[in-house]
Amino acid sequence: MSWHGDPALMETYALGILDEVHSSSIEAHLLRCERCREAIARHVGRDRIEGMWAAIEERLDIAPQGMVERLLGRLGMPDHVARLLAATPSLRLSWFGAVAIALAFATVAARAGSVGVLQFLVVAPLIPLAGIAVAYGPRVDPTYEVGLAAPMRSFRLLMIRALAVLITSMALVGIAAIALPHLDWTAAAWLLPSIALSLGNLALSSYWSPQRATVGLVAAWTLAVVLGERFSSVPYAAFRAAPQAAFAMIAVASIVVLARRREAFDTRRGR
Amino acid sequence: MTGLDDGNGGKQRVRLQGIEKRFLRTRALDGVSLDAGTGILGLLGPNGAGKTTLLRILATILAPDAGEVRLLGRNPSRSRDRLEIRRRLGYMPQEPGFHRNFTAFEFVDYVAILKEMTHRPRRHQEVRRALELSGLESVSGKKIRALSGGMRRRVALAQSLLGDPDLLILDEPTAGLDPEQRLRFRDMVSRLGEDRTIVVSTHQTEDVAALCQQVVVMNAGRVLLTGAPRDVAEVARGHVWLADGRDPRARLAWRTAEGRHRNIGDAPPGAELAEPTIEDGYLLLVGERAFSEAA
Repeated sequence: MSWHGDPALMETYALGILDEVHSSSIEAHLLRCERCREAIARHVGRDRIEGMWAAIEERLDIAPQGMVERLLGRLGMPDHVARLLAATPSLRLSWFGAVAIALAFATVAARAGSVGVLQFLVVAPLIPLAGIAVAYGPRVDPTYEVGLAAPMRSFRLLMIRALAVLITSMALVGIAAIALPHLDWTAAAWLLPSIALSLGNLALSSYWSPQRATVGLVAAWTLAVVLGERFSSVPYAAFRAAPQAAFAMIAVASIVVLARRREAFDTRRGR
Repeated sequence: MTGLDDGNGGKQRVRLQGIEKRFLRTRALDGVSLDAGTGILGLLGPNGAGKTTLLRILATILAPDAGEVRLLGRNPSRSRDRLEIRRRLGYMPQEPGFHRNFTAFEFVDYVAILKEMTHRPRRHQEVRRALELSGLESVSGKKIRALSGGMRRRVALAQSLLGDPDLLILDEPTAGLDPEQRLRFRDMVSRLGEDRTIVVSTHQTEDVAALCQQVVVMNAGRVLLTGAPRDVAEVARGHVWLADGRDPRARLAWRTAEGRHRNIGDAPPGAELAEPTIEDGYLLLVGERAFSEAA
């Protein structure tokens, strides 16, 4: 090969300020000519090479993001928050699938009669409750111990995850509620119980393990609905005005407890 | 105290006084005291000795029932102090858990976020540094579930190195590593221990002999001995003898590669005494404890 790059042109290319047409010509030549590759290396600054290498590493490293993380990124969520959420067990596709199946059964049962509607109303608040129970804690988060020893407050991590789980779970339940046979007050009767049970679960988790708190609340909730139906003359007694006011009060009280007990999440309880 | 050279005007980075911890009826720690400055301190003891409980207290994730803890000059029972300690702390738990769908890079990046590194380019640079230090740069893009057990332990180690911590707590870091990985680990930890405090728990006496300037031997929640590795070996001086067969007076005995028997216990008069190792001292210490408890 007789042609080699003009030294002045090569230097301009190495500095990254050469026009596109000449750059393409030089790049085509560099692919075949070792002598010019060696010559151009002298003109490329160390900072520029390190910068380019860092950009390559960056693209390689962030490439294999999971589906949830990519979706959250597209919705404009900061990457570090998206990564914290991507590690949440109840924000995985498998969890959403299980919730969708449970809701499908509850909705089909609801269309069969009033007992089915009651079953839907019992199950609906338990879905965000269960999601929050497996969002963070010693038995459900494999990095729980490492996270505790890190400076980010466990309470903050718990709140970020709980809020995301609450929003997604309630959105799924809301979609299912549209499919109920009557779009009357019962289609929204699960909302306040859902919020109260979820916040109650978080508040109790500052005293007990999240699993213990969940089991206690599921039992108490189911018992309350069954007793309401058994001893009241009106149907859906646990979802009428007075109980709804009680759920609102439970939600507010839970927020107060959480604010006061936030440091309880900072260390392990038990072994 | 057999103090480590803390290189900090004599100021100890770890100071525990009379630590007690109980889980229901089990007394996990019973009056444990220790001090450590710059260097590597090894916690040596059998399973159930209380090493993990002690390390959890050092990692600020467990509060003691009684006793005084000072880490990096601060009191971890105070919220503000605990936060400052955690900013300068690296912790590798005994059974590190992983989000298995993450790649090695994503996992370490996740922990970096928990360590308050929110600026993405700087965080990624630090993640790459930690992975490189642990020899994982070639597998950084691989899913955790596709990595071997040894590789996963190195990923766990990498996350503990994020932020160049002043205090590094490693719980059984060599468990499950093959001999080559174990040597690499020793090389790395030994270099890291030149300018920070590392507390490492193990039941491998070779690790302690090779790495640690100070060793604390524990059993049943109590400290049996604090000193240099040679001090552990010295416990067995005069209690290790070689014989052609297993001596019935020995508490422990095994056949060596040379075909003779190494006996440990109360040596009979005229026995051919052998130079004790740290392993002999450890066995004698822990064995005596077990013996006295049984009596």
